Amino acid sequence: MTGDRRTTLRLRHRRVRPAVAVAAVLVLCATGCANVPTGGQVVTGKPAEKAERVDDPYVRLIPVSPQPDWGPTQIVSGFLTASASFDDGHKVAKEYLSTPNAWDPGLRPYVDVLSSRTVDPHVDQTSANQATVHITGDQLGTIDSDGQYTAAPKSFEADFQLAKTQQGVWRITGLPGNDKAGLFLTKDDVERAMRTVNLYFFAPDEHTLVPNGIFLPVVDRETLPTQLVQALLSGPTSWLNGAVQSAFPKGTRLRGGSVRIDKDLAIVDLTQEARGGNVERMSAQLSWTLRQLSEIKRWRLEIDGETVTPDGSDATQSVHSWDGNSPDGQDPDEQVRQTAYVAATAGFIGTLQGDHAQPVVTGAAGRLSHPAVSPNYQELAGLSTDGRQLVTTGPVAGSPSIHVLLNAHKGARFTAPSWSRDGTLWTVESTPKASWLWVRRPGKAPVKAGHWGLGGRQVLAFHVARDGVRAAVIVRIDGRPEVQMGRIATTPDGSLDVGSFLPVSSELQDAVDLAWRDYDTLAVLGRAKRDSQTLPYLMPVNGSAITSMGVGALGEPRTIAAAPGSPVLIGTWSSGKDQVCRQRPPVTSYSQWICPTPARDPSYAH
Amino acid sequence: MTRAKRLVRCGLVTLRRVLRGTASRAYMRWRRSIQVRVVTSTLFISAIVVAILGVFLMQQVSTALMDGKVKAARLQLDEGLAQVQRDLGNSTSPASEDGSRLNAVVNRLKARSGPSGLYEVYIRDTTAEYFDGYATNELRKESVPKRLRDEMKHAPGGARAYTYGKLTYVGGHPSERGLIVGGKSGQFELYYLFPLDQEQRTLTNVSRSMVGVGVVLVLLLAAIASLVTRQVVIPVRLAAQGAQRLAAGRLEERMRVRGEDDLARLARSFNDMAANLQEKIGELEDLSQLQRQFVSDVSHELRTPLTTIRIAADMLYENRDTFDDPAVGRSAELLQSQLERFESLLADLLEISRHDAGAATLDAESLDMRDLVLRVVGDIQGLAERKGSKVVLQLPGEPCMAEVDRRRVERILRNLVVNAVEHGEGEDIVVSVAADRDAVAVAVRDHGVGLKPGEGQMVFDRFWRADPARARTTGGTGLGLSISREDAQLHGGWLQAWGEPGVGSQFRLSLPRVAGAELRGSPLPLVPPGAGDARPLFAELEAGD
Repeated sequence: MTGDRRTTLRLRHRRVRPAVAVAAVLVLCATGCANVPTGGQVVTGKPAEKAERVDDPYVRLIPVSPQPDWGPTQIVSGFLTASASFDDGHKVAKEYLSTPNAWDPGLRPYVDVLSSRTVDPHVDQTSANQATVHITGDQLGTIDSDGQYTAAPKSFEADFQLAKTQQGVWRITGLPGNDKAGLFLTKDDVERAMRTVNLYFFAPDEHTLVPNGIFLPVVDRETLPTQLVQALLSGPTSWLNGAVQSAFPKGTRLRGGSVRIDKDLAIVDLTQEARGGNVERMSAQLSWTLRQLSEIKRWRLEIDGETVTPDGSDATQSVHSWDGNSPDGQDPDEQVRQTAYVAATAGFIGTLQGDHAQPVVTGAAGRLSHPAVSPNYQELAGLSTDGRQLVTTGPVAGSPSIHVLLNAHKGARFTAPSWSRDGTLWTVESTPKASWLWVRRPGKAPVKAGHWGLGGRQVLAFHVARDGVRAAVIVRIDGRPEVQMGRIATTPDGSLDVGSFLPVSSELQDAVDLAWRDYDTLAVLGRAKRDSQTLPYLMPVNGSAITSMGVGALGEPRTIAAAPGSPVLIGTWSSGKDQVCRQRPPVTSYSQWICPTPARDPSYAH
Repeated sequence: MTRAKRLVRCGLVTLRRVLRGTASRAYMRWRRSIQVRVVTSTLFISAIVVAILGVFLMQQVSTALMDGKVKAARLQLDEGLAQVQRDLGNSTSPASEDGSRLNAVVNRLKARSGPSGLYEVYIRDTTAEYFDGYATNELRKESVPKRLRDEMKHAPGGARAYTYGKLTYVGGHPSERGLIVGGKSGQFELYYLFPLDQEQRTLTNVSRSMVGVGVVLVLLLAAIASLVTRQVVIPVRLAAQGAQRLAAGRLEERMRVRGEDDLARLARSFNDMAANLQEKIGELEDLSQLQRQFVSDVSHELRTPLTTIRIAADMLYENRDTFDDPAVGRSAELLQSQLERFESLLADLLEISRHDAGAATLDAESLDMRDLVLRVVGDIQGLAERKGSKVVLQLPGEPCMAEVDRRRVERILRNLVVNAVEHGEGEDIVVSVAADRDAVAVAVRDHGVGLKPGEGQMVFDRFWRADPARARTTGGTGLGLSISREDAQLHGGWLQAWGEPGVGSQFRLSLPRVAGAELRGSPLPLVPPGAGDARPLFAELEAGD
């Protein structure tokens, strides 16, 4: 009996084993066969980084070589077109010249920016073998060889000398403006072939970095880091020269002439002159400059081939280190929500908490307009209701007594007072024909700035950037308010020089108020070219396209307040009431404006 | 210099020798081992199969990849062409405005090309005179091959085409392979250029892993083959060893039987065979033992009556003159001579049965072969003179010492010399002695009738006679040469014969100097020098064979 059972058991075992093997093979096959998964866990990723980068995709114009049957005007047109291509050091454009090597615009050329390519070439005078081609057009401005753009609209004329070569083809023998190896590019060409990049230099406080926007031709993305660092080493443009300092000692160059790139690591090797410089500050400048490139995540500083390590950092630094030197004066990642102050219609100055204004200053001081709290929260500046008195008060609590600082001249008004981060109070007293800049250093009496670049014009708003070096203004030029930016420098004799104002954007036909959103962007209340309404816009200071903010009715917006990482606030006059508006979260360029707070003149402390 | 050259040459020679050695060893292993052969052929064949399979699979994978890429590319191109059509389609505006609009289109197309450079775009306006269109990023216009441009040039509007080419770039970016699709919309030609480095990387990865898997597979197959053949070969090898041992006489050798498979059957049959063989050989051994015992017993038993007969016969012989009838006297003489013959036959029989029984022992002592030869020749001198033969001695000057059994060697020599005298036809008998480092040899040459071909071996057979017609009365018992040969073998030596009809014959005894040592050669030639034909009638025949 037992024996029987054992045999059957063994038999079953024998039958079972191949079955198990077959099953195992099938399972292996099923799992091993390649298949696109139909399920599985959710894989998350980080959000894409800031949209616009210096090394974003770009477009290049493909030039053509001169054709043998082209006449002088065609040769000039071809040359002007071909000079928009930076490939191989303007190789094709040089083919149009009789002596190709005499002309080399290089990587930081002087550019005449024309409005369009129709430069109307016509032959002025010609013989069998000689010709002069005259071109005319509209010039918008120039880009200096240091990358600084200067708007200078004017009509433009130039003459090209041509000659027939021995091969019987026309070539250019003489270029206009022989002293500068300049290019004639259209606005389109510049937008296509050049990028605005920021170089970072130190403000006079030796801590805050100041961006210096320049135009840099994009030759190819691999040489961009080298171009950037070389531009940084060559110092600030003429616009900021004197207002900022570079930590790189004079004469510092890139060793080997280029930045070495190893995957996402950039190695910046400086010549030995850099030994005289402060490693930490040089690192801060380089970090901020290099972080504009999306390909580079880490970098290393070398001097004369030796790796240099700044204090409190690794030899290989992240491009996002040195955030403490931010032009915004704070770490951009910390996103500290700042307290917003408003002048409530109920007659007090309060902080904005949610949708309600919480009274802070009451009494006479509470009825000031355009209140601005100093960066140390100890003092409050404001204007009298008619804007003819600059008033300060302190402390920022209870009902302190007010102290009239300045009285305006007859017919003049003050712009909203603005504090810079070192505690200096700025305001512009302006009549429709003239303006004066008043500066009050902490603990001192207000004085007029020694040099004020807009003295003959009406100024509607004046705000110092958080770096303390740049100032944005709304200035009325030819009857039209325009957003301009200038720089604050201290002359060797100690007086202030506030000037070199340049238009930021030509896209707005009207501007009411502005605020610094961050070091790169202004929040502007204005009217775009085709609009009939005043709306808030974000305006990049490097001159790229402005973008509108939010949707919805705003009534008649009058003041705007912005700070890094904080919501933009707008003081508006709507249906006969003062209201402070903010965007309904989440804040995108499409979120709606809501105006729940009965107050006016919002501001952030800094 | 020369030294270096010599060194190099020496190294080369060594290398070649090592290589040749390895090759020959491998070849030997290949010849000798089924396992090696099976594993090698499995390796070879499976490698070929895997290679073919791999190439086929790679082709499939790359075709599938490229098909997908081309499909996606064409969709992208269609979208781009639609955009171009929408923005520029029926433009009648002047070329300059076209330029800026084209610029705007390119900017839109660029925006879709993605930051990582999924593809590059090249658009050209065939009517533009001063520039050749726009390209994104670092792309050179040479990336669009001329053949595709020509195709586009002659194609009707709305045509699409694609090809593969090399994408080249401005700056330090290395060129790479790419897929280029082009389409035409009105006066505009639009090209999308897709770098294929990602696909190339995928293919490289796939091919690399395929090679890895293939190698592992082939090795696995070889290992399986090795394992399987091992299962077969090891029992076979054991069987071969068993058979070898069996052949070497170890009849008790058996294979181990395990399981019930074919190999177990083989083992069982082998064991059955071995058992049968052992049984039969045992029987045969018993039988021959019995026979030898019988012969020995008979010889012994015959001796006692023979002694009695001998005494009676001696008496009869001594008194033969006293018999009246002379015929009786004659009979007594006859009886006497036949009795002597009978006695010697009996002695030989005893001797040979002792050899057969393995009872013969060597009583070796160190002796000079010359003395032995001299003594034997001295004994035979009378017989030789009677036959009219002269015995010529060729002895070396120095002693030829060897460890031999005096009685047996004397018997051999006597046998040889007597044979030579008897078949010498009255001619001279030459007895020569020689020695070298390992061996001594004695050759006895006669110039009688000689031996016919084949008889050289037969002379050592028991009771063999050169001439059957010859009366048994002459000559010995017919066992002399057999016993001599047994004696020579007992010493570890050889006894060989050479002969040619009409020329005579020569017998050569070669003995090792040290008893029991192996004999490698003989100091004397088997065929006497100058003996007619240089070609020996038979090659050296070892006594042991």
